[in-house]
Amino acid sequence: MTERRFHKDIYPAAAVDGAVKTFARFAAITVREEGDHRVVAVESAKPERALRVARELANYALGLVREGAS
Amino acid sequence: MARSVYSRAKGDGLPLNDSMTNPTIDLGLPPTIVAHDPADGSVTVTVDAGLYPLEALYSAAYIFIDRCYVLLDRPREGAHSVTLASKKGDASPEALRAMVGEFANELLSQSWRQKILEENRVILETVTTQALAGAMGAPTLDDLASFDFTEEGFDDPLGIAMSWEEKQQQKKAAKEEAKP
Repeated sequence: MTERRFHKDIYPAAAVDGAVKTFARFAAITVREEGDHRVVAVESAKPERALRVARELANYALGLVREGAS
Repeated sequence: MARSVYSRAKGDGLPLNDSMTNPTIDLGLPPTIVAHDPADGSVTVTVDAGLYPLEALYSAAYIFIDRCYVLLDRPREGAHSVTLASKKGDASPEALRAMVGEFANELLSQSWRQKILEENRVILETVTTQALAGAMGAPTLDDLASFDFTEEGFDDPLGIAMSWEEKQQQKKAAKEEAKP
């Protein structure tokens, strides 16, 4: 399992949720809240796949943040 | 950028986060600013939020998402961190050092752009408003007929915009009031 921690002040909920929704078909993804962070856990049969999905998801979330700002 | 980032290498007493405590490869960069995670093949750059606004960080990070996996965080109050991992999987010290350097340069550039944008925001908005108003064309006779010209355009406490006659009338009235 791979986790990515998204700070709430940096990544709005809509960006994280949008990214999770987009990548949900590539791996099992769960979101939980831990203080100031939304923690996205990505699970896949292959660890390298989980890592790749988590990383791409983070990039996609950043893209959504920028899209929302412009 | 380099000077402001690296100037904190002397040690500012700030706590290190977990990923900063095990740098197995010496990148030749200050460990309080740049941390290397060999397991992940990533580097984490921590910058002062007061020096580099979040908008600039977003912009710089966004530019890097075509070649890197990027994750932003706030490790503590007043600081932002950026974790970068190459998409090509190149985690050699040279590649990581180059990535950090390029990101630092881009962050400085974006911060400067942000500062210029803020300083010129009023001018930009004024010019845009005037351009849009001009694009609407000249007012029609109906527009002019319905325009309220009675509205005071500005305060005139010194009476600069008053006519000579109005000023003389005011002086005369003041003199008469002053008579016993």
